[in-house]
Amino acid sequence: MPSLLELQSVRKGFAGVPVLHGVDLHIDQGEVLALLGENGAGKSTLVKIIAGDYTADDGAVLVEGEPVRQHDPVQARALGIRMIFQELNDAGPLTVAENISLGRWSARRGLVSWSSMRKRAEAALAQLGAEFDVSRTVESLRIGERQLVEIARALSDEARILILDEPTAALSSSEVDQLFRAMEQMRSRGVAMIYITHRLDEVTAIADRVQVLRDGVGVLDSAVSEVSRTQMVTAMIGREADGVTRPNAPEGLGPSMLEVHGLSSGALFDDVDLEVRAGEVVALYGKIGSGTAEVVEAAFGLHPITAGTMRLDGVDYRPDGPATAVDQGLGFLPADRKQSGLLAIRPVAENLAAPSWPRMSRGGFLGHKAERAAWSRWREALSIRSRDEPGQPIATLSGGNQQKVLLARWFERGSRVLLLVEPTRGVDVGARSDIYRTLRRFAEHESLAVLIATSDYEEVVQLADRVLVMARGRVVDHLTGAGVTSAALTSASGGDVA
Amino acid sequence: MTQASQDDGGTVQLSKEAPATGRVDPSPSTTAGGAVVNPAPRGRSVPELAGLLVVLAALVVLFAVKSPYFLTTNNILNILSAIAVTGIIAVPATMLLVAGQVDLSVGSGAAFCGVLLATQVAPRGLGLAIVLAVVAGLAIGAVNGFFINVVGVNSLITTLGTLAVLRGLTQLLADGQTTIVTGFSALGTSRPFLSIPLSVIIFALIVAVGALCMRFTVFGRSLYAIGANPVAARLVGIRTRRVLIITFVLSGLAVAVSGLILTSQLSAASPVAATGLELTVVTAVVLGGASLSGGRGTVLGTVLGLVLIGVLNNGLVLLNVNSFWQDVARGTLLILAVSFDQLRQRFSAGS
Repeated sequence: MPSLLELQSVRKGFAGVPVLHGVDLHIDQGEVLALLGENGAGKSTLVKIIAGDYTADDGAVLVEGEPVRQHDPVQARALGIRMIFQELNDAGPLTVAENISLGRWSARRGLVSWSSMRKRAEAALAQLGAEFDVSRTVESLRIGERQLVEIARALSDEARILILDEPTAALSSSEVDQLFRAMEQMRSRGVAMIYITHRLDEVTAIADRVQVLRDGVGVLDSAVSEVSRTQMVTAMIGREADGVTRPNAPEGLGPSMLEVHGLSSGALFDDVDLEVRAGEVVALYGKIGSGTAEVVEAAFGLHPITAGTMRLDGVDYRPDGPATAVDQGLGFLPADRKQSGLLAIRPVAENLAAPSWPRMSRGGFLGHKAERAAWSRWREALSIRSRDEPGQPIATLSGGNQQKVLLARWFERGSRVLLLVEPTRGVDVGARSDIYRTLRRFAEHESLAVLIATSDYEEVVQLADRVLVMARGRVVDHLTGAGVTSAALTSASGGDVA
Repeated sequence: MTQASQDDGGTVQLSKEAPATGRVDPSPSTTAGGAVVNPAPRGRSVPELAGLLVVLAALVVLFAVKSPYFLTTNNILNILSAIAVTGIIAVPATMLLVAGQVDLSVGSGAAFCGVLLATQVAPRGLGLAIVLAVVAGLAIGAVNGFFINVVGVNSLITTLGTLAVLRGLTQLLADGQTTIVTGFSALGTSRPFLSIPLSVIIFALIVAVGALCMRFTVFGRSLYAIGANPVAARLVGIRTRRVLIITFVLSGLAVAVSGLILTSQLSAASPVAATGLELTVVTAVVLGGASLSGGRGTVLGTVLGLVLIGVLNNGLVLLNVNSFWQDVARGTLLILAVSFDQLRQRFSAGS
């Protein structure tokens, strides 16, 4: 029996640069195919060809064994191909019901029938095992719920092939569970799903088959049950990955750099104690909403402190904003790179040097030389992959390389304490281990104190000397040394955040 | 906020391999080229200004052919002194737009400062009247800066409000009358050096200081960072609020200087003076390549924009075109400039 959808040696290039060099892909009814690959491997291009957004330069698209002549968005729609984007594509101020019927309002004599619209929405959500009030506005929902609404829209629109592009990037773990339950429901209804992700544990949890792309070539295609994680990672990055190993315990820690006692900030977090010493990497681990990011942000002066004290290098410290925190030797990496980290249209050298401007300037005057020199130096030291062109906008770099520049900002500034929120979110596997190595090296050799907030337990295991586990705004557990394992972290973070 | 997500994950990935994002052939005449595959290094702000230079050159040739008076020294100085009053304000306006802000109150602010001077000369003497006018300008900037950066009202709305408030206060202060000022014509009419008007010299100095400041000081560079991404700028330790308030105060200072020069040139202060000045200022800044979404723009570009507007107005007068056509021409120019900016951004984001 022919596959529901099949691509045969698809090629695609942009402006003469080949991105896909003859990729095959097939998917059957009720199958979940995980599509893995580093950034730039060609995943997005491949699924955009499936969705009809791009036309392949060469190769064939077959639906149920029949070649599709002119594959375009209209054709893809007619074939039941739907795509759920990483960034929400919904209409926030409209209700759940309206969103699910968006563009396909049920109308009688030109008037919208609200009752049938509600029924359609409720039916679609019920199929996903989700229940919520369809008369609420979408913007009042949590992000995971909004994603379910988008999936419900695709479902009620008779999706046969659903493409999900990193849907879990912003979800808490209970929301991920809910999403997976919804996917199970769709699988049992025969919907085929192509699932793009960076997270290997999700592949084993939900996918039937896994396909790995590297540099525009399919390098692995196998049933999930027949392939190990190491094999998947090796296929993705093209070399043996550093396994999930614990870092060596630091030798001879320096003095206490950041000390926090009984710190509270309104409803964000309560009574947090922690200490980070020079040369040490400490993680705050917890689900999104558990308060980890907020503690780190508060240490940078971004949230009002309602109780408790902080000491920096032994001296009382209470920042009234980021500027004072930077002056006092702290560096900060926000969770959302694009929204709060990048000066996207500005040159990469400027992005790197901005916090160091006061130091590079004389009497307020600032040349461009020091900034260019800093760029060349850090580009080499952190092996940032890009042209050696200080004037290129940082937006032209890949996610992992952008993140390296944002870290180098603080190395250049000479910060003594680094505060990092989700330091490798949206960063591909290769760059991720580079970033871990860099952070470990700087902590050790430059006696940096590093505090990270993360919801990724693999990150904690690979990076942190010590961990404080948080749930519902409180520290609920401490783990040190060999006690830091995925299993211990998962169980310690315990129940879900309401 | 102003920084809509122009490049999502997809474009970023591609641009790693694809040859260029937003690179336009640096030679002026070929901006219309479709696929851009030239891997030459990016020429800073040249492409934006290239179009402007071409239009300017065309106008100069046209007017020079049509009117023998156009290229005379006298007429060129006329154009420059006509630009000066607007231009003095356009320099801080460039700083503001680069930082993603706009000040619409400049026209009524200038009228206010002028009328304040004119009405205070008799009771308090010229010296004190000048001081009062300058302080008023600084205060206008501080008030705008306060509402925008401390209260958090959008700059367009705040300065639209102060535009109306100041025009009303000016009328009240002047009692609806034009006030004659005597003994204050030096600022606007003297020609201390090579018969160049003092106002033009002041304008040139402000341009020089502004251009250096934008390119070679921490303050100026911070404006670009704030315009590119205000959140990120704050997180790298830039005191964004302070920087922006200072810039609004600078705008107020320029408004006062302009108002004084205008009053001096006419030896009188009218409560309806400088009406619509904000339109000319914004047009010049945008023509000069500043992006409405912030993070881009230069003082030099703004000067070119000003010259273009000045040449257009002057040429239309020389050709005896009905002066209302000047408004039509300026408005058209503004829309064309913004359309050009939009097309350039789309072109940059889409390649």
